[in-house]
Amino acid sequence: MKHNILLAFSFAKRDFKERYVGTGLGQFWYILSPLVMIFIYTVIFSDFMKMKMNIIDNTYAYSIYLIPGLLAWTSFSTIVMRLNTSFFEKAGLIKKINVPMYTFQISIILTELFTFTIAMIMGIIFLLLVHQPVTLTFLWLIPIMLIQTFFAFGLGVLFSLFTPFFKDMKEIIPIIVQLWFWMTPIIYVKSMIEHKYPMLLIYNPFYYFAEIYQNIFLHSLAPSLSSLIIIVAETIVSVLIAGYLYKKMVPTIKDII
Amino acid sequence: MKKILEVKNITKIYKMYNNNFDRLKEIFTSKSYHKEFIANQDISFDLFEGETLGIIGVNGAGKSTILKIIAGVVEPTFGKIIRHGRVTALLELGTGFNDQMTGRENILLNGTLIGMTQKECLEKEQEIIEFSELGDYIDEPIMTYSSGMKMRLAFSIAIFSEPQVLIVDEALSVGDAHFAAKCTKALRDRKAKNMSIIYVSHDLNSLKLLCDRAILLNAGEIANEGDVEEVVNSYNFLISKLNDNENKMSIKNADNSSFGTFDVEIKKVTIKGEKSKSDIISSGENIDIAIQIHSDVNISDMTVGVMIRDKFGQDIFGTNTFHYNENIDFKANRDYVCHFQMPLNIGTGKYSITVAVHSKDTHLENCSHWLDNATDFEIAGIIGNYFGGLCRLEPIISFEDMKK
Repeated sequence: MKHNILLAFSFAKRDFKERYVGTGLGQFWYILSPLVMIFIYTVIFSDFMKMKMNIIDNTYAYSIYLIPGLLAWTSFSTIVMRLNTSFFEKAGLIKKINVPMYTFQISIILTELFTFTIAMIMGIIFLLLVHQPVTLTFLWLIPIMLIQTFFAFGLGVLFSLFTPFFKDMKEIIPIIVQLWFWMTPIIYVKSMIEHKYPMLLIYNPFYYFAEIYQNIFLHSLAPSLSSLIIIVAETIVSVLIAGYLYKKMVPTIKDII
Repeated sequence: MKKILEVKNITKIYKMYNNNFDRLKEIFTSKSYHKEFIANQDISFDLFEGETLGIIGVNGAGKSTILKIIAGVVEPTFGKIIRHGRVTALLELGTGFNDQMTGRENILLNGTLIGMTQKECLEKEQEIIEFSELGDYIDEPIMTYSSGMKMRLAFSIAIFSEPQVLIVDEALSVGDAHFAAKCTKALRDRKAKNMSIIYVSHDLNSLKLLCDRAILLNAGEIANEGDVEEVVNSYNFLISKLNDNENKMSIKNADNSSFGTFDVEIKKVTIKGEKSKSDIISSGENIDIAIQIHSDVNISDMTVGVMIRDKFGQDIFGTNTFHYNENIDFKANRDYVCHFQMPLNIGTGKYSITVAVHSKDTHLENCSHWLDNATDFEIAGIIGNYFGGLCRLEPIISFEDMKK
């Protein structure tokens, strides 16, 4: 067990180093892609489209609203989708070498957590540039990002267990993820749907995360106890179900991949 | 001796379903939706420290399945494996290599995958590079390597990971003779240091050379277990049963060059070792070549001859009844059998037998039937003193101090 966790760390380290191996800019790409995203959403929405949000007094208010949600969603959806196909990607390896699948899955969340952190730091630098106050409340980001990563882990592992049985899941999950994105107030604001479709907010496990990030970025507002309880509960449930099914299903999965 | 690996009542049943949905339903309900395929049935054995165990069996006997279960990549349906140490399996050489990375980086990658810590990998790195003989290539990406180079690197990593049990699945058959010999030597050295090996191969000769004990698997069960020589013989017997049907056909096969007047015709040729009872024979074993002949005519003063050829078609040994002053008279519509019995003192390898019926000492005159490749056989393992080359010359060796 201990060896396998250590192995996951060394896989993650290697994955992180290798991803941009041979590229001219190398590891600078990890910074560049969130940077480009922040730039696009700032220029297009705040400068070109002159989208105004009157919640706070800042020209870039809409960008400040967009960025944390988008960064968090990018990390969440990447983890879910990478985990979903992880059994297929590592089939050649786990059929020949006695390394448990969860090692590879943990290494995926480790790399993604790392890129998520870099992206979040870029986001905070953006806040400083547009003169949005950054306070100690921002420290809440650390536990929230960790919990979100575990939630994505539970959900992704859960999907990954069924994908070997139904190859269609490979195609379905990205579609679900995309639908989910547009049903969550990330691009648009909560007030646009809260009266018309309140269940989109209530039954949307990711919305609770998004709202926390948005409140921290816009208002330096610490998460409420109720929202903390909800995100911790949904994370525990998803990880426990995934863990239980993992034990039950992995021997069969090894026979069919 | 200490047990290093205990295989207890392993049964592996592959379930076959109409579709994956049925498979999923069965995990969560108690209803059965499958047909069964039994790959291993109730296999138990122990592996002791420093022992080399061979596993043989025809294709589909369940060798790979049991190896995968021991290595831990496949879960058994029933039974369990108790490992008292690190088990490293060379099921497929070079699994987990990353083609883009250099050989040196892959040592770390592959090493950690098969159970070494990073520290161990770094400590062993130099030895691994030296053993693999890759030299400067070690800092080139693996994709520039030939398959032999990859194999050398993979094998070097495996052997320096110093497992308590090493599983080798036909891995040594790749690579040139020089490296194969080096591998064999390295395996023997490790064995002397109490490493145990499970060795699977169809190369009966290397099995006999390396293994202390062998297990014969047939249809998923242990058919025989014990002394290598004995197990190999029962394996050969098993194959010869499988081959029987084919052998009857082969005599009329168009591939064989068969010519003559056919007034006297060779019907069937078989070769059998005295101990192995099959066409896989140890060097030095007594054999019996039986030639069944049918004659359509009355003809006298005939000769029956045999020629043993190696896999390159070189004549190794041949003789005929003429040279042994054995005159043969055939009568019309009668069947005969001619036996050639002799100890087969030739080197290991594959051989074929050519048989002919003619008059006088050669087939140039009045050849009734000449049949190339009438049957073939293999020499695997050596009874008595080891020797190399094609023939056994039985030297008398003495050694003296010249000053006396």
